[in-house]
Amino acid sequence: MRSLEIARGCDVNAETSPNSRRLRRVTQPSVYVVDRLARGLIACGGLLTVVSVFGVLIYLCVEVMPLFRPERIERVASWSAATDAATTDSTDAPAPLDARRAGITKVTARGVAEPEATGVESGMSPSDSAPLVGLDDYARMYWVFQPRRRQVLLCRVGGELLARHAVGVEKTVTASTVNPWTGDFAIGYADGTVQTGKLSFKTEFLDDSAVTAAERALQPGESRPYRKGLLERTAEHQLRHHTLVVQQKKPIVVARDRRILLVDQAHSTRGTVLVAVSDDGMLRYARVTERKNLLTGETVTRLKQGQCPAQFDAEDSPAFLRVAGLGDNVFLVFRDGRLLRFDTRNPSSPVLVERRSVLDTPHARVRCVTFLIGKTSLVVGDSEGNIGVWFRIKPDDASTPDGVVLVRGHLLHGNGNAVTALAPSLRSRIMAAGYADGTVRLFHVTSEQQLAEGRFTAVRTAEPAAGGPDAGAAVRAVVLAPKDDHVLALARDRGMLWRVHAPHPEITWRSVFGKVWYEGYPEPEHVWQSSSGSDAFEPKYGLVPLIFGTIKATFYSMLFGAPLALLAAVYTSEFLHPRWKKRVKPTIEMMASLPSVVLGFLAALFFAPIVERIVPETLTALATVPFAVLWGAYLWQLLPIARHGHWHWLRIPLVAISVGVGLQLAAWLGPVVERTLFAGDVMLWLDGQIGTGTAGWMFLSLPLSALMAVLIGSRWVAPAVRRRLRNRPTRTYAVCVMGQFLLGSAAVIAVAWLLGAVLNQIAWDPRGTFVGTYVQRNAFVVGIVMGFAVIPIIYTVSDDALSAVPESLRAASLGAGATPWQTALRVVVPTAMSGLFSALMIGLGRAVGETMIVLMAAGNTPIIDWNIFSGFRTLSANIAVEMPEAVKGSTHFRMLFLAALTLFLMTFVLNTIAETIRLRFRKKAFEL
Amino acid sequence: MTQQPPAAVPQSPASTDGDVPQQPAFSQPRPAAAKPPLPDETRPPATSRLHRIALGEPIQAEIHDAVLREDAVLEFDHFSLWYGSKQALFDVSFPVARGKVTALIGPSGCGKSTLLRSINRMNDLIDSVRYEGDIRLNGESILGRQVDVIELRKRMGMVFQKPNPFPMSIFENVVYPLRIDGIRNRRLLKEVCEQSLRGAALWDEVKDRLHESGLGLSGGQQQRLCIARAIAGAPEVLLLDEPCSALDPIATAKIEDLINELRGEYSIVIVTHNMQQASRVSDYTALMYLGRLLEYGPTSDIFTRPHLPETNDYITGRFG
Ligand SMILES: Nc1ncnc2c1ncn2[C@@H]1O[C@H](COP(=O)(O)OP(=O)(O)O)[C@@H](O)[C@H]1O
Ligand SMILES: [Mg+2]
Repeated sequence: MRSLEIARGCDVNAETSPNSRRLRRVTQPSVYVVDRLARGLIACGGLLTVVSVFGVLIYLCVEVMPLFRPERIERVASWSAATDAATTDSTDAPAPLDARRAGITKVTARGVAEPEATGVESGMSPSDSAPLVGLDDYARMYWVFQPRRRQVLLCRVGGELLARHAVGVEKTVTASTVNPWTGDFAIGYADGTVQTGKLSFKTEFLDDSAVTAAERALQPGESRPYRKGLLERTAEHQLRHHTLVVQQKKPIVVARDRRILLVDQAHSTRGTVLVAVSDDGMLRYARVTERKNLLTGETVTRLKQGQCPAQFDAEDSPAFLRVAGLGDNVFLVFRDGRLLRFDTRNPSSPVLVERRSVLDTPHARVRCVTFLIGKTSLVVGDSEGNIGVWFRIKPDDASTPDGVVLVRGHLLHGNGNAVTALAPSLRSRIMAAGYADGTVRLFHVTSEQQLAEGRFTAVRTAEPAAGGPDAGAAVRAVVLAPKDDHVLALARDRGMLWRVHAPHPEITWRSVFGKVWYEGYPEPEHVWQSSSGSDAFEPKYGLVPLIFGTIKATFYSMLFGAPLALLAAVYTSEFLHPRWKKRVKPTIEMMASLPSVVLGFLAALFFAPIVERIVPETLTALATVPFAVLWGAYLWQLLPIARHGHWHWLRIPLVAISVGVGLQLAAWLGPVVERTLFAGDVMLWLDGQIGTGTAGWMFLSLPLSALMAVLIGSRWVAPAVRRRLRNRPTRTYAVCVMGQFLLGSAAVIAVAWLLGAVLNQIAWDPRGTFVGTYVQRNAFVVGIVMGFAVIPIIYTVSDDALSAVPESLRAASLGAGATPWQTALRVVVPTAMSGLFSALMIGLGRAVGETMIVLMAAGNTPIIDWNIFSGFRTLSANIAVEMPEAVKGSTHFRMLFLAALTLFLMTFVLNTIAETIRLRFRKKAFEL
Repeated sequence: MTQQPPAAVPQSPASTDGDVPQQPAFSQPRPAAAKPPLPDETRPPATSRLHRIALGEPIQAEIHDAVLREDAVLEFDHFSLWYGSKQALFDVSFPVARGKVTALIGPSGCGKSTLLRSINRMNDLIDSVRYEGDIRLNGESILGRQVDVIELRKRMGMVFQKPNPFPMSIFENVVYPLRIDGIRNRRLLKEVCEQSLRGAALWDEVKDRLHESGLGLSGGQQQRLCIARAIAGAPEVLLLDEPCSALDPIATAKIEDLINELRGEYSIVIVTHNMQQASRVSDYTALMYLGRLLEYGPTSDIFTRPHLPETNDYITGRFG
């Protein structure tokens, strides 16, 4: 005995002889160790789970956060120029310049960098406020286009003049335009000719041996003027030389012997489009096609011209001329806000199609007009400081000849000072605006938010402003660098450069979750469209369509799956013989192991095309299958063996047969239904082209009328029948009950039809709401297939919950005279409610997060439409589809993370609510 | 009639009766009771009858004349019952007196619950059950094909060994038999609820919390709630299957008082394990043994001067 104890490692009390009782009392230290170890491990596991869930949440948040960080600009250079106050083209003399760059004053060579007159002061001069300044990729230098002086200046940021290029020909320049995206310019002359050309930056690498010692001494990052450009030592120790290249063509006669007042150009697929307004009040449209003769090498210029009156007289000349995108529309804007729109799709005969005002207040004056990227949205800045963004939409009730009207989609407010300069971004919907008080603002047009604001700081001016506001500060020109990373503003005697930090300017909470008015859309909408073929395309990141898609998928799949799964669970736990249950349950559970990609694949490639071919049959089957199953049940009651326990196993095969009969019935009745209810073609009917809404309402109200029939039947008809037939043989009773069922079914259909007809009369056509145009990949297919995906899990959990209800409760209920069905509904189901609820919630969670099925079978069209026959795109499918093509760190990439975060929060909130409700249910049944 | 080999059929898991007889705290494991022959030291002097039963021979039940003179509400007529191939009741014939309390006693596993459950055909819920003979309620057979089992059960009220109130309010628990009949008349329901709770001597204790969960009551109260539920349907017969075996002595005393009060209004059949209880509450007592009726008579006679020596042995605790 003792040796045993020692062997077990217990401490032995030498005096008392150990007995077996004492032995049992001693707890082994190893037990403590294991106990503590287990506790530690479990705590660790739990903690790790919590930490990892939070880790995921934090990671998502970190990825998403930059989207909502405020944009800002930061001044990197400012300089002042004691200029000759030249506001016209008349003087060519450059003035000395006092440059101050980033705080370090450095007097450099001569040269004025200054925008051309904006037309505000220059009387008749119709030259408008197109950005006549351009900035290079690195925001190191800028050109200033001065056609009136027949020159283009290339300046270094800081004001230093680098080069002076000649431009134009020896004629009186009366109009000019530069396209900020391409550098294409056009100059109009007093003799009615127009000359086109192009400004572009050129970069070349120089060998160290080709330059002088001064240049060779350049350190990486440094740069200096060199041969009409800027020489720079790159980080890789190369010498890079940036210059401006000016190309120009010969003038073309656009308005013979007429003075050109305004000019603009565009590039259509069929050549360059030149549009001009001449002093005879005509709008001239010319399409220039150049063909190169392959034999002679000569270029032949062909001109296709047209004109129409532009409706103005000499005192009231228009101030801005803009030709849209591909040259199909021309806008003529007057200072008082009148706008004329010409349809120029036919080049030989432009037509005036719309006339309206673009200003709200009568005293306001239009100060600047430009396009946004894509040359579709017209931006109008006025003297009150407001900037309106106008684009064309196609409403159904347009009164214009071409069915298009101009609307103001966005309005960006300033602080009351006149807008004096506008510059569109070359790559996005950012817009830089300069104001008369010297402020510069950056806006994101679509999301209507002001990104940042800068201001000319007071600089040493030659003559301090004598009273009043600092007139010299009024912004003459602003320009955004090609990468949106810098903004440059020039005033009469100063310039300033800011660095822009705006990685995700289009994203705000409102633009993600609210309606946004995108260019060309008839009204503000929720849109998700992240990519497109064209450069001018604006990505649209509205999450609402995706959230909607997720809800729609969940709704329709739960609509199909949840009742089936719950009924199946109630049936197997309450009615099915245990022997059968043993086989049925694992079979259903095995369905869960079917990979969802297989289900999706089946749905998309097998199920969807079949359903599309047999839509009327499918719809009919929704009614005939339940009918056939019930009918089978009544028939079963008629059989003499029905009351015998021995034959109960026959029920399941009978159900299968009934389902088959129901399907066959549907196949027969389908064409009939299509002919009678859907006017002969269900596809056209769904599309709303033929027939009336009655059939739709009828199908929608079938469940309702069936429910009514069941209620009325069980409450009044059945007891009456039973009373009447109390003492008749079972068989008679069964026959009568069957007759009652048949009559009831007929009544259900009749009532549904009646309801349909009435609703169709008084209400609206159901097409366009819950039913509508049929698309092959649709919510119906997804609902059924995803329903199948969620059935196993709902079924298993709810069957477990139902089986956990104590038998004693069933006995009590049955003993009180309740039928098994009453027992199930009144006692078992309420008792198991918490479990059933969890089952539903788990199913819901699965449906919300399900990816593969919706990815393959939902069509992935991000539209908001409850129509059961249309497609949708869910958050999860969207992430799966777009993640591979999203550039890391881009707005798109982060938006996908925001989608993931939204999904995470949706399931999180759902689960939390579910758990709370479940616990309340649980409390009720707690003491069992 | 020969007995099949005992314990050949495993107990079906489909049993819907919460009253499974092997409660280790209260009874010996069943094989001991079912296994012939009896252990030597417990074999009573006159073993012939028990021995013959153990051998599966038919025996004549001893039924006192006093019983036969009573107006019978229920009559068992050569009733036999099988669980699958295992016979649980052997040719049982006896009447149950109207308005009286009849106690069924006997060792565990002798078929008392089975007999009780046959009366409201709860045994039908077990697939393997098969029976012969007849049971008549007020002279009408209750085993026929035409009989609506659901309605039959509505004419009986049943109370089980373990209190089994539903997880609903006390009110809903009591009016459950009316609810399933589709009665929604609030006034009627209230009336029946109060009546039944008063009938079950529970009214004063719960009248202020009718809408609290029935599960919040103590064990004894729960069992009285179950009795209230059983009598809410105005049954003709009340079937009590060891209603006190899960209760403490005070609760037991209350239930016994209640049975005494219900006497006369209802015909009550009570299965009990406790012979003192049988002697305290019942008018007639039936002693069963291995699926057979041994002796049946007025309680006083059974407990003071039984006709059979085996009965005497049983009530004095010499076997069982
Ligand atoms: N559901 C059942 N399936 C098979 N045998 C059963 C079932 N219920 C009871 N029995 C058997 O029937 C006999 C009588 O049981 P029971 O009536 O519960 O006894 P008592 O209530 O007298 O203790 C027992 O031998 C028991 O094994
Ligand atoms: Mg029992």
